[in-house]
This record gives sequence, C-alpha cells and structure tokens, in this order.
Amino acid sequence: MVSGGNASSLPLVGGKPEPTIKELSSPGRRASKFPKLDVPEVKINHESLKKEKARLPEVSEHDLVMHYSRLAHRNFAVDLGFYPLGSCTMKYNPRFADSIASDSRFANMHPSMPEEFTQGCLKVYYEIGNYLCEITGMDDASFQPPAGASGELTGLLIIKKYLEVNNMNHKNEIIVPDSAHGTNPASARMAGFTVVEVETDSRGMVDIEKLKEIVNDNTAGLMLTNPNTGGLFEEEILSISQIIHNAGGLLYYDGANLNAIVGASRPGDMGFDIVHSNLHKTFATPHGGGGPGSGPVAVKSFLREYLPGPIAENKDRKYNWYQPENSIGRMHGYHGNFLVTLRALVYMKLLGKEGLDQLGAYAVLNARYLSSKVSQIIPLAYDEPCMHEFVASVKDLKKSHKIKAYDVGKALLDKGFHSPTIYFPLIVEEALMFEPTETQSKETLDDLASNLKLIVDDLQQDDTVLEDYPKNLPVGRPNELIPAKYLTVNWGDFELLEITE
Amino acid sequence: MFVPHSELDLKKMFDELKINSLDDLFTHIPDALLLENGLDLPESLSELESIDYFDDIAARNKSDLVCFAGGGHYDVYLPQTVKSLTMRPEFMTSYTPYQAEISQGILQVLFEFQSLVCDLTDMELANASLYDGATSIAEAISVAINKTKRDRVVISSGLNPNSKEVINTLIDRNKFNLDYVELNNFLFPTNFEFDESQAAFVVSYPHYEGSCQDLTSIVERAKEKGLVTICYVDPSMLGVLTTPGQMGFDIIVAEGQSLGTPLSFGGPTVGWFATKKEFARLVPGRLIGESRDKDGNKSYVMTLRAREQDIRREKASSNICTNQTLNAIGSAIHLSWLGPEGIYEMGYHAIQKANYMRKQLIKNGYVIPNDDSSLREFLLEVKSDAAEVIQDMGDKGFLAGILYDEKHILVAVTEKRKKIEIDNYIESLMEVDNG
Repeated sequence: MVSGGNASSLPLVGGKPEPTIKELSSPGRRASKFPKLDVPEVKINHESLKKEKARLPEVSEHDLVMHYSRLAHRNFAVDLGFYPLGSCTMKYNPRFADSIASDSRFANMHPSMPEEFTQGCLKVYYEIGNYLCEITGMDDASFQPPAGASGELTGLLIIKKYLEVNNMNHKNEIIVPDSAHGTNPASARMAGFTVVEVETDSRGMVDIEKLKEIVNDNTAGLMLTNPNTGGLFEEEILSISQIIHNAGGLLYYDGANLNAIVGASRPGDMGFDIVHSNLHKTFATPHGGGGPGSGPVAVKSFLREYLPGPIAENKDRKYNWYQPENSIGRMHGYHGNFLVTLRALVYMKLLGKEGLDQLGAYAVLNARYLSSKVSQIIPLAYDEPCMHEFVASVKDLKKSHKIKAYDVGKALLDKGFHSPTIYFPLIVEEALMFEPTETQSKETLDDLASNLKLIVDDLQQDDTVLEDYPKNLPVGRPNELIPAKYLTVNWGDFELLEITE
Repeated sequence: MFVPHSELDLKKMFDELKINSLDDLFTHIPDALLLENGLDLPESLSELESIDYFDDIAARNKSDLVCFAGGGHYDVYLPQTVKSLTMRPEFMTSYTPYQAEISQGILQVLFEFQSLVCDLTDMELANASLYDGATSIAEAISVAINKTKRDRVVISSGLNPNSKEVINTLIDRNKFNLDYVELNNFLFPTNFEFDESQAAFVVSYPHYEGSCQDLTSIVERAKEKGLVTICYVDPSMLGVLTTPGQMGFDIIVAEGQSLGTPLSFGGPTVGWFATKKEFARLVPGRLIGESRDKDGNKSYVMTLRAREQDIRREKASSNICTNQTLNAIGSAIHLSWLGPEGIYEMGYHAIQKANYMRKQLIKNGYVIPNDDSSLREFLLEVKSDAAEVIQDMGDKGFLAGILYDEKHILVAVTEKRKKIEIDNYIESLMEVDNG
C-alpha cells in the first residue's frame, strides 16, 4: 500500500528564483486586446483625466501564462499533498463545486439587482441557511460575514446590541479561554468589550472553578470552541452553559472546530446561543491561499432580529430579503461571499444526510488514529481522547537537543508534507497541532507518522544543523528580520536597500 | 463521500484504537449531547443529480440581462487567461503561506499584487488585500483613528450607501462621530472647513453618483489640520484618472472586483488597501516582504506579523485573520494582462461610451443631472417610478442600473457595452418609461 498524500515526488523545481512580472516587462508588449471603439469618438475634457499612462508591466500573454504557472508550481496545496495543519481543516475541496460556482448564471450576477431578478441566489441562501441551522442546532442564519473573524465580530456585536436593547449595558466582559484563537480576544476588543481570560485545567479543558470565580454580573458572554483548541471535547459544556446563562450572559460558539462534531452533536443542544461557522473549513470550500472564506452566523430565535441583514426568506413561494428589526447592520458591502456559500451548499448536497451524519466521526477517527501513531514518537500535550485534531509537544526534545516545534515543521516539508500548526495553542510549550481531516487515507496517515519518526531521529544526530532544514526546496528559511526592519514590501525596495547598505 | 476508508481500512484502524465502531469514538461525550438519529436532512445527491438541482436554481436568476449597473461592481471583460490561471489548484487549494519555503508561489504573486497596486495608485505600501471595498473603508478609518487619537470622522455622502452601512456597523458610534458631508451639485464642497478634532476625511473617487473632481486642494487642506485622508477609488478607471497618490491621499482603499473577479453577486470580491510607509505598523491584514534565504536566494515571507491578532490577541488593532488572496491573485494577473495600454483603453472606452449614452439620452428628452461632471457612471432621471422602470427594463433584457431614488437610476457603462446595446437600451427605456 502506498500513501496518496506524500508530495515528495513534487517537481517544485529549480534553485533559481522566478523573476517578477515587472522584470519580465518589455516596452511595447501587451496581452490585452479590446474591440475597436464603436461609438463616435469625441474630445472629452475633464479635470480628473491624466495625460500619462499607468505604470503597469508590459508582457506578452505567453510570458504571463508561463510566469504565473511557474509560480503555481512553487506552491504546496491540498490538491498536491497532505496538509495536516491543525485548526485549519484542510480537507479535499470537491472540483464539482467549482464548476457550479463558475456557472455564469451565478458568477455573473450583479449584486444590486432587485430580488425578483435574483430568485436563484436567494434560494441558495435560503437552502443553505436551513442546512446550517439543522447541523448546528440553531434557528436563523445570516451569511453577511465574509470570514470567520468577521463572523466572530458579528456574534459579539449581536451580544452587545442585545444587551443594549435589554438595558444591560453594564455587562461589558467577554470571557475567553487562554487556549482560544487570537481572533477571539481581538474581535471582543473590536466590539468594545473587556476581555477576561479563563484558565485551562490540567486535563486541557476550561477550569470550571476558575470560571465560577470570574463570572459576575458584568459578564456579557463566553466565547468557546467545542472541541476546544486542544482538540478535546469540553465535557462540562452543559455546566459551563448554565454558569454563563445564570449570570445573564450569552454563549458564543466559535465554529473553527465544527468539523469534529457534524452529525454527532450540535452547539445548539449544548446551550450555545450564537454560532459562527467557517464554510471554508467544515464545508470544503477552497482556502484560496488564505481567502476568500465565509463565516455565517446562526442564532437561536430570540436573537434573530439582531442578525446582520438582509437575510433570505421564503414567503408565498417567493424568496425575498428580510431586514431584521434590531439588526447590528451590514458586515459586508453586499450579501457576503456568495460563491463560497454556493460551493458549501453543493458540498452539503453531495454529502447529504448519510455523509453529514458521519462527517464528524470520520474526522475524529483519522485524528485519533494519527494521534495513536504520533504519540509513539512525540508525547501528546493531553492524556485525553482527541476529537478532530490533537496537540503534541517537543518541549523535551528542546531541552535535550534544542529541537523546536519550528524545526520539526521545517524538516517535514522536505518529506513531502505540509507542517502541522506550530506554537498553537499558546498554552502548550513547543506545540505541534495535527488535523488530518476525514479525506486522507490510512496509508497517508501511516506515512506521515513514519516520516515524523525519521525526522525526529535525524534532527537528534550530532552533526545536524537545525537551520539547514528544509534542504530540498527552492529556497531555505527566509530571513524574517530584513523585511520587518526595512519594509521591503514593494518591488525595488530590496534593490534600493542593497544600494544604500 | 470523500472518505477513503474501505471496510478493511476501518477494521485496521479500529484495531489500532481498540474500538469496535465509529460510535465508540464518542463515549466521552455526555449522552444527552449525542444526536440519536442523526440530522434531519435530505439524502445525498450524486454529481449528476446535483447538476439538475443547481440548474433549476440557476434558471431562477435573470442572468441574461445586459448590465448597466455599477456602484463599485462593474461588468468588465474578464479574460479567460485570468480566470484559468487564478483557478489553478495550487493557488485555490492552499492556505495562508505560513510555511514560506513551500509557498513561494502565493507569496510572490501577493508581493506582485502589492507592488502593482502601489504602482497603479502611486502609493508606497499595499497589503495583501482585505474582504471588500466597504470593509476596507472601515479598516482605513480605524487606522486614522489609531494614528490621530481623534474621535470625529468626516465622510463624503457620495459613497455607496451599503458602504456607509458597513462603516456604521464597524466603527463604534458610541465612541466616534461620523459626520457625513452632503455633496454640492454632486461634488464635494471645495470650501469645506476641516478642524483639528477630526481624525479622517473619507471620499469616493469618483463619487457614488459618478461625478468626479480633482481633490488635490481639499486633501491639502484636510492634511493641514492633521487629518488622515482616505480615498475610495474605482481602480478600473486608473488607466485614465489622475491617481489618488498624485492628489496627495494618505490611504487608498478600493473595491477590486472589476480587476480580476467576476461580479459574483457581490462576493467574494477583494478590498485593496494602500498607504505610505509611515503607516506601515498600523496597516491591517497580511503583508508580504522580500527577503533572502541563507544562501542569498530571493525569497518572500509574511512580514510585520507582530501587528496581527494571533500574536497581539486583544491588543491587535484589527481582528483580520484571512484576506482574499485568490481574488488578489486575480487582480495581479488581470493588471498584468491589461498593461498600461489595456487599462487605458478599458477606462477610455468606458467614458467614451458613457458620454455617447448621455448625449443620446439627452437628445431623446432625458435629464442627466450630473452630465457635466460624470465620466463612466451617471444619474438618469426617469419619468415613471424608477423601481418600476428597472423591473420593466428587465423584461426588455436590460439591467437598467441601480435604483437611486424614486426618480433616478444610477447607470454605469463599461468598455464591454456595445453601441447597439446602448441604442437598444434607450429605445426600450422610451417604451417603458412613459410617465
């Protein structure tokens, strides 16, 4: 049996750097061609028009295609190999969804059309709203937020507005676990809340006693992922929910880890009032190199009127936009990331009840299996059954051989795998967080584990120079200090630096 | 469906974990929280069945209308080269380029994107993109507030109304005053008095209604009072328009849809954000820098990471985690495809065709309130109810524009519109708009 997820055969060719498109430019070349002007040309005098041409590269179409294709070759991707990046759910993205999203009847719709013209788009929002609410156990959803972080902010603004409308303005504290994603505290602060951290106990879960100490009349809510960022199911979630609700606070579910529980358990049943989902994780829309994503927010019915609108409704067999009464307002210039939402609906339709019912279970199976293999090489951070991801720690190797999580990640690149997430969650020293997802085969999981073993052995050799890893890629570790210090963020900046230094 | 495991695989994996079934994976979850009968959802569809399902949905859209709507999103020609290169799976199915050594492709394209945006707008530093034009304006206002520590913002009313709503959501109005300034005859009043309590001046270029003006002296006076000046620009017109950088703006934001992304019903598109280096440490979102590896090879890497939420947590100035990389890639490739001549023709043809359309409309008895100051986009005054005109024009095969108010439609013309389409538009308009 051979692993399908090992990309070490990948032709990430060449030791030479690819020139920039500007360096490929030569005066007088062009790729573009437009039709001849078919209206009578007149002299237009306007104070805003300029005389000179824009500064853009001049390249032939073939040069352009070769350049960007070569750059594509220099990039790892889910379509090329195993991407066990914890917290990011890098599962397979069905090609079929791309074909639906490329249909001009969706892709070429102008966002300002009256709703009578856009019944298809509205139906997409309506249908996926139903799916998402059933999966998360909520009642109503808005697809305005264009990303997960935007979804978080949406949820917090909903809490804020809800408290304002119900004359509870004094409630200004949002509780966030010390293991949370950085976006949680950042979003809470943006929404105008004070952030209060609750500690994680030795098992890796929210410390209930500490939580009780922190909760008070000013508690506005708690943000939590479940499973949490350590990959563990918060077994006391019902007690946590009760503690927060008894204090008059709301419970916010960060959907970053939703993949673990789809079909098995629902945030709505755990007591959460607000849920954001990352369609680009759980529902397999392509990550696009770091976006576009989509971060819809679903709520229990008592919060429906606070949702960012408009939201899609179905009345008398017609779809229409509904503007919630106490809406927090728009989170996006139009209707959120429609084509991402459409892809997610395609995925949900392809999986259907049978696929979605077992989605979480398979994601957990792969993580549990991989954790069993990895634990024989690197100790795990927690001695608890993991859900869809798990955290290992190389703090002992750091002590004995100065090997950091960073080094393990870099060495793994040489073997044809993406690195796991490193240094997260922050509360685990030298953390390596693995999330295999449900779409990788047993052989690929085995292959990762055996390569991890090879690396860990290699890195401990006396003659190892850790900084040399990765060794087999077009570039080695870039010097991170140069751009941070000299702001070489525009072409020409670096060359200028070489002249002046 | 996309799970690879055979019965044999499952058996081996179960054996390793000493379990007997998938259910055994969840024994630590309280029973009360486990779904007994799974989700109440329809059975799965095969791809073949899904084609029919989505074909039915797509057919409900009136998708064949000739588009005269703009407002930030424009029906420009998107070359196949741009579409197919952007959809390369290496770009589409990768994540944020945390591991620089295997992400040089994405990193270099984003670096080129940043540089192209700077060249096109005459700025020094651009980020690797934000969600869309509207949210970019709000992010720029936050930068200005952080920079000046002032609490008032002067915003030109000539902004896309949805953008105003986004600003109103994202800027905390309990702490900051948003002062919307009405346009005077579709232009920002040149005699507007700024003062030292104001953090930022935000203006659209061209204005939402399509009128355009040289903002140099207004920007100069705002800067004299210490305001951060923010320009929301239509980037597809920068082949013909004086650049915001030339007019002296500190921050430029844009809705980048018209460069590299189909209309997409408004999303995903891409927000552009460019500024001067003095603002570097306040810039939201990702930033890519050029560096060298230890052998001196050119290499790119994410930089100024210390600003970001995953490191600064609640002290971060923005919660932005992702950007719109794929759409930014589209922008970079489209700009390279266009070149200086292409982007010029794209803008020049649009304003020639819009000018032709206005003159024909006027010739046929229509009023264009901002005829003299508009370029590719303008207000059309109709005799009947404007919403009804848009409905009826739909039956004639046209998206007449965007509803502006009861009597006005905002009409946009791109380089893609043909003379015959403009002529037919006017003919149809005269049939449906009979007062």
